[in-house]
Amino acid sequence: MTKTDVISKWITQNSRVLVLGCGSGEMIKELSALNRIAGSGIDIDEQKVCEAISGGLSVIQGDINTDLEDWPKKTFDFVIAHDIVQIMNKPDVTIRQMVGLGKKVIISFPNFAYCQIRFSILFSGRMPKTKLLPYEWYDTPNIHLFTIKDFKDFCIKESIFIHSQTFTGLGKKKIPAYLKPDFFAEFAYFLISDTKENAT
Amino acid sequence: MEIMKENIPEHHKLPDSAGIVKTRFYTFGQSPGELILESGEKIGPLTVAYETYGRLNDSGNNAILIFHALSGDAHAAGYNSPEDKKPGWWDMLIGPGKPFDTSKYFIICSNILGGCKGTTGPYSINPATGSPYGLSFPEITIKDMIKVQRKLIGHLGVEKLLCVAGGSMGGMLALQWLVDYPELSGAAILIATAPSHSAQEIAFNSIGRYSIISDLNWNCGNYYNGARPETGLSIARMIGHVTYISEEAMHKKFGRNISYKSGLDGANNNECLHARDFTKEFEVESYLKYQGESFIKRFDANSYLYITRAIDNFDITDGYENLADAMSRVKAKCFIISFTSDWLYPKEQSLKIVKALKINNVETVYTNFESPYGHDAFLIEDERFKKIIEGFLKSLH
Repeated sequence: MTKTDVISKWITQNSRVLVLGCGSGEMIKELSALNRIAGSGIDIDEQKVCEAISGGLSVIQGDINTDLEDWPKKTFDFVIAHDIVQIMNKPDVTIRQMVGLGKKVIISFPNFAYCQIRFSILFSGRMPKTKLLPYEWYDTPNIHLFTIKDFKDFCIKESIFIHSQTFTGLGKKKIPAYLKPDFFAEFAYFLISDTKENAT
Repeated sequence: MEIMKENIPEHHKLPDSAGIVKTRFYTFGQSPGELILESGEKIGPLTVAYETYGRLNDSGNNAILIFHALSGDAHAAGYNSPEDKKPGWWDMLIGPGKPFDTSKYFIICSNILGGCKGTTGPYSINPATGSPYGLSFPEITIKDMIKVQRKLIGHLGVEKLLCVAGGSMGGMLALQWLVDYPELSGAAILIATAPSHSAQEIAFNSIGRYSIISDLNWNCGNYYNGARPETGLSIARMIGHVTYISEEAMHKKFGRNISYKSGLDGANNNECLHARDFTKEFEVESYLKYQGESFIKRFDANSYLYITRAIDNFDITDGYENLADAMSRVKAKCFIISFTSDWLYPKEQSLKIVKALKINNVETVYTNFESPYGHDAFLIEDERFKKIIEGFLKSLH
């Protein structure tokens, strides 16, 4: 299961979508191909933004830490932050902004309580390194790592409703992790919003 | 900065050239149908110099209106004659297969009201007196300039534009177009521009204006039958030119190199300078002098006064509560571009527009484009720049 497999099944046809940290627009293109969406994105990297614009995409060069506040509430049907919450300066502030901006929000992140990470730190006594988190402690952009349980706690505290969740892990094929995801899932996807409607 | 292209013989026959193009003229506003300006004054008849490239398609939905900057003209692409050494000012972007693809789009560019390249301006003959307007030419604004261009596109049979585009002052015209005629364009490309001039931008323009009016030949704008205020206009161009280039680009090009070759001439033709070191000339000095001298051959000092004044007076929020309120008029998809090395129109000015568009939920594309060239970057060959323009235009259909 790829990220696009998971995310595209939550996105409805003809919806307006904003992808945070969209880079050169790979996800916008994939989702557009599958779901006929009006996709747009925001990214800080000029080279990647220009690539996206050259490909005909609506992308704004900007900083997701500071530049989400201008749009009116519920401008987008979906706001997506894929594998990026852990590098935000203030994830709590930005997630609150996302939930205000989007009717639905999709957040995906590497689960820091994944079994491999737990064993790595337990037995090696060093900061864990995995395929998804390959950095040294001193050069990692991941300044706010967290776990599935952390995220669920956060949602409860912030009155954010979880509508759907998908966990992947176990090997190269990224088989869905149904059993004890907080232990076996390497990566987690949440569909959330600030309204109770259709929440699980 | 001028686009320096080598004069390859038969350049106009290259497959991506707009070819040989003719500047055409449209005259309207004969009495009693004169154009009423923002100031309330009337002017007419008016002549507009314009060029078009490509053809308007049967559905009439492929027209793009290009606005030139302060010293530009209607000649945006191609060559006016096979002998021309240089093509139009935006030839790098306009032609068959280029971003403004003339095999797909119908491109229109006209000289602005108050200009001196074929459109009615202070140099034109005032029909009431039979002599050039000079300072009897009425005060004009950016709004007036686009009003004239609105008439022109109607004359050309265009009901709605696919896109408007322009850099610097051209961006201001495009922005004003979106506010004044929101139904008349589906998209806009606003490059290195601002919702209004800052004090610094006004300051530089004011030095240019003082330079012209202090030239004794200016004679209250009444110089068309005698010596022209060439020194004043060339100094105005020199100061302008400094602001159009980045410190990095200028230093890279000239460094501290010294050129003695041009020696003393023109305004510096004063023997007392020989006594000391003042005959020495840095290369950057020679370059600016060259820019000034070539400018006086192609530009009118009174036009420089009227146009820079219109730019300084421009404020897109006039008549609105604030910028967001003004941008609530916009119905076009907007592409805003600033340049990293542009210190005359810094990115903060573009970002103000982006913010106001976002507040109004207008589909917006923005980049602070990485370029070493400064404000003039939109006139300089750059493959990446061409690609973003091309990508945006392709997204419109």
